[in-house]
Amino acid sequence: MADVLVLGAVNSAVYAMLALGFTLIFGVGRVVNLAHGTFYAIGVYVAYTLVAVTRLPLLAGAAAAVLAAAAVGIGLERLLIQPVRRWTFAVLIATVVFALLTQEIIYAFYGYTSRNIPSFTTQTLSILGVTVAGQRAITFAVAVLAIAVVWILIYRTRFGSAVLAVAQDREAAVYLGIDADGVSRTVMALSAGLAAAAGVLVAPVLVVSPQMWTLPLVKSFAIVILGGLGSIPGSLAASVLLAYTETAVSRFAGSAFSDLVPLVVILFTLLLRPSGLLGQTVEP
Amino acid sequence: MKPAETATAIAGVSAGAPHRTASAGADRQNAGQRAAGWAAGAVILVGLSVVPAFARNGYTLSVFTQAALYAAMAAGWDVLSGYTGRENFGYALFVGTGAYTAALLDARLHLPLPAGIAAAGGASVLAAALAGVPALRLRGPYFALATLAAAGIMERFTLILWPVTGGEDGIYEITPLSLSGTVTYEATLVFMAVVVLGLYTATRSPWGMVLRAIRASETACEASGLNTTTYKIGALLLSALTAGVAGGLYAHVQEHVGPAVYSVEFSVTVIIMAFVGGVGTIWGAAAGGFLLTLLGESLRSLGPYRLLLYSAILLPVIIASPRGIVAPVLDWLKERQR
Repeated sequence: MADVLVLGAVNSAVYAMLALGFTLIFGVGRVVNLAHGTFYAIGVYVAYTLVAVTRLPLLAGAAAAVLAAAAVGIGLERLLIQPVRRWTFAVLIATVVFALLTQEIIYAFYGYTSRNIPSFTTQTLSILGVTVAGQRAITFAVAVLAIAVVWILIYRTRFGSAVLAVAQDREAAVYLGIDADGVSRTVMALSAGLAAAAGVLVAPVLVVSPQMWTLPLVKSFAIVILGGLGSIPGSLAASVLLAYTETAVSRFAGSAFSDLVPLVVILFTLLLRPSGLLGQTVEP
Repeated sequence: MKPAETATAIAGVSAGAPHRTASAGADRQNAGQRAAGWAAGAVILVGLSVVPAFARNGYTLSVFTQAALYAAMAAGWDVLSGYTGRENFGYALFVGTGAYTAALLDARLHLPLPAGIAAAGGASVLAAALAGVPALRLRGPYFALATLAAAGIMERFTLILWPVTGGEDGIYEITPLSLSGTVTYEATLVFMAVVVLGLYTATRSPWGMVLRAIRASETACEASGLNTTTYKIGALLLSALTAGVAGGLYAHVQEHVGPAVYSVEFSVTVIIMAFVGGVGTIWGAAAGGFLLTLLGESLRSLGPYRLLLYSAILLPVIIASPRGIVAPVLDWLKERQR
């Protein structure tokens, strides 16, 4: 049982990092970004290239990977999403084609062979009698820190107020002199950076392949739908719920079934309670 | 007012079209346009039916066979998603259910081929009734995500139920549709023609006008006393039936079925075809399916760079023309005729 408790906590923190950016993007631009998992993959492959190929120190490589993903995020927002923002369907298509394009670019450079990403540490430590890889402990600490920073940024700063204003009513925010497109770009950079950081942190224990963008995307969907699209507290609560359910299912029924959890969550939440756990009751 | 009249008014007003004034001249012009459209369709079909005479090898013919199947699938996606604005990102649920049903009945139970394909259509309609109908209450990205998840769940189940479904490898040893490539191609071409013609007629009918009105404004339809739910369910089941039969044929044409028929990539492939060809026109979606399959295959010599180039071509098209390609071209043609 204790292993489920500890592993679930680490997974919760990583999921929250992924879902936070996804929910912010939806809140600010009503954009369902199907390329969200792509940032995660970009983070991993850039870090791999810098560290394993060009021999950069791991920390520098990881930081560069996060910045690179943020830059790609700004480009995606400016060049692909902004021109078609009015057509929800075109946004879905544009972002999914971007995700497939990135997958093919990664494939062209690295092929389908999976890559090994070095860990930050190989030491282990014992928590609640469970041996935990040091990498997972670092992951947990960094993720919690990142979430705290985002929380403060959104709820305690002027920039955060602008984000919340645009999320509430984009047009009114523009009339009040807020640069809504600028806010969207910054939030996209933030969201991409968070996803890339999550990727770099968990990559050492993952299968790294060009298609690795789909799983984090599905998990982000499940979390934001369970928590209510656009709700930050809801996303955090749903991250914990999903991570623990998955960890428990994986432990007691096998990993083939744990992959089903987010999909089942998406389908049944939408069918039974479309506004999610903490989302406002608006017409879906 | 009758449902159709109400629907015409709603669809017309929301599209921003000026109130139509009935004049003999305009009627004659419309009739002329329609006749030209039917003639063009007939010429294209005849042209496609003689492709086997010119095809240099079996490979070319198999590409055209696939193109016909994808054209039918794209048209089937369009009748629900293009007409009612419910973008189905889990279309693979219907295609996959059809394909696996036909494959299992053939390879495991050795049922005759027509029975298997009929069952494929039935199974797909059943899947639509179970998962699709409840999802119809949702709109926009919510409907997209619910359908996407439903297809994803089935993809997982093909892996979990591996003793029956063959897991990652899928099912081989499926009876080919016909031993002759020409017969296979002509059969899928007939299927495509029936689907496109059937769906086109259905969407031009008063029933189809209501679907278009739902896309324009569902609230206005409900306020006018139209029961939108029954129309949406009708479109969904028609879409699923097309996908299921197409999936069944796909299994017999490919002689193999794997989890990929349930994948998001499969759904997205079909959606992009309909999108590029023109959403809400049936024939546009079908043309998109046919042409993009040919384009995708003609890039095959590029090997690993094929999909890269394919998506690199599509991306600027989507940004430049978020309403697809057909609608703007039609607007432009109509503008020129004035």
